[in-house]
Amino acid sequence: MNKLKSGFGAVGRFFADFGHAIADGDIFVKLSLVWFGAGYLGRKQYIKAIIMTALEALIIAYTVLVGIPYISDFGTLGTVQQESVFNPVTMQNEFNDYDNSFMILLFSVVTLVVWAFTIYIWMYNVKNVYRLQKDQEHGKHVNNFREDLNDYINQKFYIVLLALPIAGVVIFTVVPLIIMIFVAFTNYDQNHMPPSALFDWVGLDNFINLFGGGGMTVSFGYAFVRVLGWTLVWSFFATLTTYFGGILMALLVNGKTTMWKSMWRVLFMITIAVPQFVSLLLVRNFFADNGIMNTILQNIGLTGFLQDIGLISGNYIPFLTAPGWAHVMIIIINIWIGVPYQMLIANGVLMNIPSEQLESASIDGANSWQTFWNITMPYVFSVTGPALVTDFVKNINNFNVIYLLTSNFYTTTDQAMANSQAKETDLLVTWLFTLTQDYYNYKMAATIGIVIFVICAVFTLVAFNRVVARTGEGDFA
Amino acid sequence: MSKIKKLLALVMALAMVLSLAACGGSDTSSDTSTDDTSTTEDSTDDTEEAADTEEEAEDTTEETSGDATASGDVISLTVWGAEEDQTLLAELVAGFEEAYADYATFDIQIGVESESTAKDTILTDIEAAADVFAFADDQLADLVNADALQSIDALNDALVAYTGKSVEDIEAANGAGSVAAATMNDTLYAFPMGGGNNYFLYYDSSVLSEEDVASWDSLLAAAEAAGKQVGMTLSSGWYNASFFIGAGFTTSLNGDGTTSIDWNGTSSLGYTGVDVVKSMLNIASNSAFMAIADGDISNQIASGSLCAAVSGTWDAEAAQAAFGDGYAATKLPTFTCAGDQVQQGCYSGFKLIGVNAYSQNAGWAALLAEYLTNEESQTARFEARQLAPTNTNAAANEAVSANIAIAASSAQDVYGVVQSVGGKFWDPTATFGEMIAQQTLDVNDDDAIQAALDELVVGVTAAVD
Repeated sequence: MNKLKSGFGAVGRFFADFGHAIADGDIFVKLSLVWFGAGYLGRKQYIKAIIMTALEALIIAYTVLVGIPYISDFGTLGTVQQESVFNPVTMQNEFNDYDNSFMILLFSVVTLVVWAFTIYIWMYNVKNVYRLQKDQEHGKHVNNFREDLNDYINQKFYIVLLALPIAGVVIFTVVPLIIMIFVAFTNYDQNHMPPSALFDWVGLDNFINLFGGGGMTVSFGYAFVRVLGWTLVWSFFATLTTYFGGILMALLVNGKTTMWKSMWRVLFMITIAVPQFVSLLLVRNFFADNGIMNTILQNIGLTGFLQDIGLISGNYIPFLTAPGWAHVMIIIINIWIGVPYQMLIANGVLMNIPSEQLESASIDGANSWQTFWNITMPYVFSVTGPALVTDFVKNINNFNVIYLLTSNFYTTTDQAMANSQAKETDLLVTWLFTLTQDYYNYKMAATIGIVIFVICAVFTLVAFNRVVARTGEGDFA
Repeated sequence: MSKIKKLLALVMALAMVLSLAACGGSDTSSDTSTDDTSTTEDSTDDTEEAADTEEEAEDTTEETSGDATASGDVISLTVWGAEEDQTLLAELVAGFEEAYADYATFDIQIGVESESTAKDTILTDIEAAADVFAFADDQLADLVNADALQSIDALNDALVAYTGKSVEDIEAANGAGSVAAATMNDTLYAFPMGGGNNYFLYYDSSVLSEEDVASWDSLLAAAEAAGKQVGMTLSSGWYNASFFIGAGFTTSLNGDGTTSIDWNGTSSLGYTGVDVVKSMLNIASNSAFMAIADGDISNQIASGSLCAAVSGTWDAEAAQAAFGDGYAATKLPTFTCAGDQVQQGCYSGFKLIGVNAYSQNAGWAALLAEYLTNEESQTARFEARQLAPTNTNAAANEAVSANIAIAASSAQDVYGVVQSVGGKFWDPTATFGEMIAQQTLDVNDDDAIQAALDELVVGVTAAVD
């Protein structure tokens, strides 16, 4: 809460300072409201004045040439449909001056970001030149350009260091994110695909459809609920099994009586060294209906036994091709894939448990079970608790395991699911992939993406608060 | 310390400038493609291409110095073909450049794009896609709906002027099925390149006789007697539709991308959908029948437990290896439907070459596409890749009918229909086939079968959203 307050305080101060600067600034400060370079010119910082003026000119040029033409179409996302006529003389198609909805969306968002950046620069600039005015009035030294540059590799070095990452985040994460959020409110899909067709704003229609408001396939809501359910079940079990599995393995490997400890560690690490998709595809083939596992089980007679007691109907065990079987198998296979990573983490934590605590416990006569539950587990949990939360979120979006084990392999027999291009083993994220990759349904993909984000965000906030509050992160010193 | 800082700052500044420059570059290229619409720029490496063409132009002017007839323009084209087609494509493109050397100088780039995934790559960014590309005919509808394909009809004048062939001539030269597969809304949208993309029956003639493979009943009985199995993929609409097609059911594609399907009703031949499903259930429940997962058929043929399998020309080598001297292929068998013997149908697939509607040189691109699919090129393609020609003259070639797999494929093609379905067809039909394979429907429960068929129709006919 305090952090929140101080955050608002900083923003408030920024605006207050800006107000002071305008009110108390001299002519140069006031002039820099319209001409970025004016304030620096007044303090004889000519190079800075030129740079700021050039920046302003660049922004104005961009706004006039690119920004305004695109952003004026932002409300409609374009109105002119593409048309073309073939000209046999030039052997070329002649196109009309058509609109491209996606380009309009893209450049509008870029323009909005540029404008937001401009407003910040504009206010920061006024504050800055006001500070220069103050410095001059108080007879302090006003930096020349070289000294300013020197500042950036000394006191203000953090700005230099952070400039690139921040620019990268804005260009490659923030802008695409905003665009995807906007797409959720349009009808961008197979029938409205630029450049040949235009798409348009549809308000909240996609969200209403997702939650069963009709309009789309009847079973979309039906499929969504089931996919969401399995996503949560999967994340819960996948996280928990690998977490405890990893700790158990680490305990076993680190146990006092275990021989050749480093050999065991290396052996388990090898699973990590093999690319995940290779091992997953191999395992998928092992457990195929006609795969090696089924052949072995048939030969030793287990399949026949299961058939006799009515557990399976075919002459094979549908490890990855029937609901239930596939769900359990996926979680088990994930244990095998995920445990080595958790073991690696737990290993490090276990080695750092203060030995005094363990020794005093054994002096007090605690058995190994008591030691584990009362000393080891609380310690491990306090350190890895937050990681557990991120693991859960990671598993909600665990595309690899599900997709590689089931895509083009698992065919649902639930017609209502199939009618919405879903299957029982789909996570929200793999369903999203099918929808966009095979059906170009970008609008629903964006909508589901937002829903996944909300689920993950809410869960993370709640869980982090709980976990951090309970384990008292930072109390171990 | 400060030296390191200075160095770091320099690196940072450089990286900033570079990334800004990179962004600026892409900005301008997309600018031109949207603002300046009279010329649709191709891709971000336009500048490179332009530089290349300039160099080439210089080269060619040096070569042809003194020869003033060649028009000054260099026509840049990009063509996408399958990986295994690359060598052949390079030869054909060279032939094209030579054939049209009198009209223009060409700079033709050849790229790799599988025919089966061409649609996905093209629709990601139509304006950056190749001018000429090969694709499978089931992608035609999506490509046409996205306006990615140039209408060939609109280029009639150019084709007549340069090749002496009108669109009608081209349509007449190719098999009717292949032309139908390249046509939508009464407009030809692509040039047929090859056929034989259907399925038929491979069998081991040392186990099965020609009479055995005539019907599913005798086929399964003979296989059971020999202790072998007959494999077919049911969990894919492409394969399981063959029973419905044979019984006279149809699918069709509507203008808005939705699919019409009548499988839950009564066909033109008087069979009901329930009749067909019952036949399929009877076949699938036979212990000599093996339902094979989609895409797994090659492995199963190789495993040696099959004496016959339903697959296409792509499995010819696998079947030959597995069946050895007994290797044989024929049309699909008949199946018992409501007491009658009904010939199993199939979807006939074709490979087509289309022209990008956003191509800067659509006319020249069409000429190239025409050249790549003419009689000579199709013959060359058959020789290099054993792809069945659609051109009737090329198909009449003796070598073509001597190929066992291709001969079986064309024998089955007689019962084939053009695959006119939209994207929503696949998942519901795959599930329906899986239900039959797993016997989740009871062969005696007509109501449940009808309900499942109704549900299937709901899924397939759903609106494209």
